[in-house]
Amino acid sequence: MTAPTPSLTERYVEATLRRLPERQRADIERELRASIDDAVEARVEAGEDPAEAERAVLTGLGDPARLAAGYADRPLHLIGPDLFLPYTRLLTALIAIVVPIVATIAGIARAVDGDVGQVIGDIITAAITTGVNVAFWTTLLFAILERLPSVRASVIRDWTLDQLPEPPKRRRRHADLIAETVMMVLFAAFVLLTPVLRFKTDASGGPIGVLSPWLWDTGVVYLFLVLALVGLSFNYVKLHVRWSAPLAVAGAVVNLAASGVLLWVARTDRLINPAFRAAVDWPAEVWEWLPVGVTIGVAISAVMVVVELVRGFITRSWERADFGETIREATQRIPGVK
Amino acid sequence: MYDEELYGMHLQELRRGTVVLACLIILKEPNYGYALLDQLERSGFAVDANTLYPLLRRLEKQGLLASDWNTDEARPRKFYRTSDDGHALADALTADWTDLNTAFRSLRGE
Repeated sequence: MTAPTPSLTERYVEATLRRLPERQRADIERELRASIDDAVEARVEAGEDPAEAERAVLTGLGDPARLAAGYADRPLHLIGPDLFLPYTRLLTALIAIVVPIVATIAGIARAVDGDVGQVIGDIITAAITTGVNVAFWTTLLFAILERLPSVRASVIRDWTLDQLPEPPKRRRRHADLIAETVMMVLFAAFVLLTPVLRFKTDASGGPIGVLSPWLWDTGVVYLFLVLALVGLSFNYVKLHVRWSAPLAVAGAVVNLAASGVLLWVARTDRLINPAFRAAVDWPAEVWEWLPVGVTIGVAISAVMVVVELVRGFITRSWERADFGETIREATQRIPGVK
Repeated sequence: MYDEELYGMHLQELRRGTVVLACLIILKEPNYGYALLDQLERSGFAVDANTLYPLLRRLEKQGLLASDWNTDEARPRKFYRTSDDGHALADALTADWTDLNTAFRSLRGE
């Protein structure tokens, strides 16, 4: 060919060689050129047009990157089947531990001086940033491991029966559930009775409710109690129904919704009856710190809910949040730690 | 009746690895890439060029094939031939293939 533009074959061979180590190039180039020429020649001899034959042969060889990966013995996947389970286990464990901790710290740090919107914003931002970082670095680590055969072999451990998930501790969960139910009944009774309890009385001797009448006027108090009740019912359901992703997510959403309602009410100063506040004459700090306390409590409970949800996804069973156990299991999953 | 796609998938699984044995047997006589591709196809071991060429180098790296450049003709070609190790492996795999055939026959009650 006399034209200055390189032929299709030139370009194809170049595209393949570019992806190969220097020391392999010369030999593969010679062989690949000969193989392409042989194949084109055979087609031309069979009566095909030379240009058509070249196109057909190169098309048959396929993507040069794939061919080069074959020559260089490089995997055409990021993380292969041998490493996939160690990878997903470590990733879920790290996300379950690191993301809630960082998000809680970010939330608490902001709760000292921010309003509820800023707290939620900071928690979400911290959770996303941390999650993305954890996912990226873990993926990068395993993609590198996949390409280092000597190190790879040491990461892959044979499965043993010891790794079977523990059977559910039914008895303990029954006791927990009864305690939760008793607490729920007492709590609901207290909330519903506050308007008539005579902690403080007004001038005419009538009771001053601790909680803001706004909660009753708008029905928010009933919304909160219903959400809490539904959350509790979920715990009963869990005892009798096998773990499933939609049910687990629904349970977590109900729990988080109840927490969210409480947080919103506290941070917008609609929790305590202004008349009660005036009547008791407690120091101003009590009322300033009440929303902060509620925020911290809600944050901790939200972290527990999320950890429990993620643990459920890892073990495919109804797991109660248990930080000690989660951390112990996670460290076992880090490659090389026994 | 099974569909063609399903058949193709299982056939591919079943034939995986037979190309290696076919190469080791054919290359007892030295040959070069394209001619081998052609011969494999005519013998009923259809394989893609982009699978075969890297495979030949892999087998060479494993010491099952040896190679020489033949520059006698206008177009220099890399000729591969089965090494002593390759011969031994081909014999062992052929015996395994025969055993499998016997095992299938006995399963079918022949």
